[in-house]
Amino acid sequence: MTRLDATRVVVRQAGDEPIIASLGHPAYDLFAAGDRPANFYTWGSMGLASSIGLGLAMAQPGRRVFALDGDGSLLMNLGSLATMAWVRPPNLVLVVLDNESYATTGGQDTATTHGADLAAAARAMGIPGSLTVRTPAELERALAVRKAGPRVVVAKVAESAPVAKPPLDCVFIKQRFMAAIGCPESATTGEDS
Amino acid sequence: MHPGSDTPVWAEGVCAGLHAAGSRHVVYVPDNPLSLVLKVLQDAYPQVQATIATREEEAFGMAAGLYLGGARPTVMLQSSGLGNSLNALTSLLVPYQIPALVIISMRGDAGEWNAAQVPMGQAVRSICAAIGLPAVTIDHAGEAAATVELVGRTAFGTRQAGACLLPRQLTALPAVRAGRP
Repeated sequence: MTRLDATRVVVRQAGDEPIIASLGHPAYDLFAAGDRPANFYTWGSMGLASSIGLGLAMAQPGRRVFALDGDGSLLMNLGSLATMAWVRPPNLVLVVLDNESYATTGGQDTATTHGADLAAAARAMGIPGSLTVRTPAELERALAVRKAGPRVVVAKVAESAPVAKPPLDCVFIKQRFMAAIGCPESATTGEDS
Repeated sequence: MHPGSDTPVWAEGVCAGLHAAGSRHVVYVPDNPLSLVLKVLQDAYPQVQATIATREEEAFGMAAGLYLGGARPTVMLQSSGLGNSLNALTSLLVPYQIPALVIISMRGDAGEWNAAQVPMGQAVRSICAAIGLPAVTIDHAGEAAATVELVGRTAFGTRQAGACLLPRQLTALPAVRAGRP
């Protein structure tokens, strides 16, 4: 399963629901798998996709919120798993695209190459049922489960060279995203804020 | 402090101000003065949800997500945590024009007893200026409510995070003011 294969499964499972993508290759592949207004592409803030997803899930409890993280990014913000476990948003799904590599920066090994197990870390932090999947069918099955979360799914993926990049304009990404999920920014609607 | 109350006026003011600015979510990394704010929130503002983060940068990430979902987030931290926040501020909140009301409890200014807190505390205002984070210092307890509300309204109205700095001369407990750490 390449990262793009896995990303396509997430997009299919997400329907119209929001997806937050970590910077670099996860965001590039989310764009390639299907650009949609409810995609939030980060261009920086490495490590924070899960935190952005958590905040969004808290503000929008009626939506199923997906966060697409990388293994290197999640390793930068492991505390996020502890906070997710504590806040326990039932509507948050964190998908970690684990290619065991800092692929965006040249393919250096991450600790997951050398034994770090992010699904086990999530369970240890208090998110039961966190699991590792290796095929598109396993990922599909894991995401189709609608039991209350938070849910953490680590997808072991092969690196695949990205073929496209998402829009570069950060404010455009934000405003399009907020309108798509029913929270248009007041500055775009002509109302007083 | 009001007569007969253990709650300092500045802490009540911070809560009244963030509430008046429309904030119903506070994400924070705690410190001692901020514990007084949290106590007021817990006792008098049950509609405000306070969530602890493991690290300040994580708190700003959560705040960004809250804003994307239509909320008006407040982030509270000690000045020592501003350093931990910089990548989130400069590569997420600033370029995406994602606002937050930021409450910074100061260390390292007049009244400090711990040398390790001084360098960052002294740098806070310069760092805020360098990254485009407007910062207002609250010097008098009686102005806390109005200033916090105004900074919050400005932040959410202009889509630019804004900070209120709480100096130790404002927040220090009486024991600290008397020179006992």
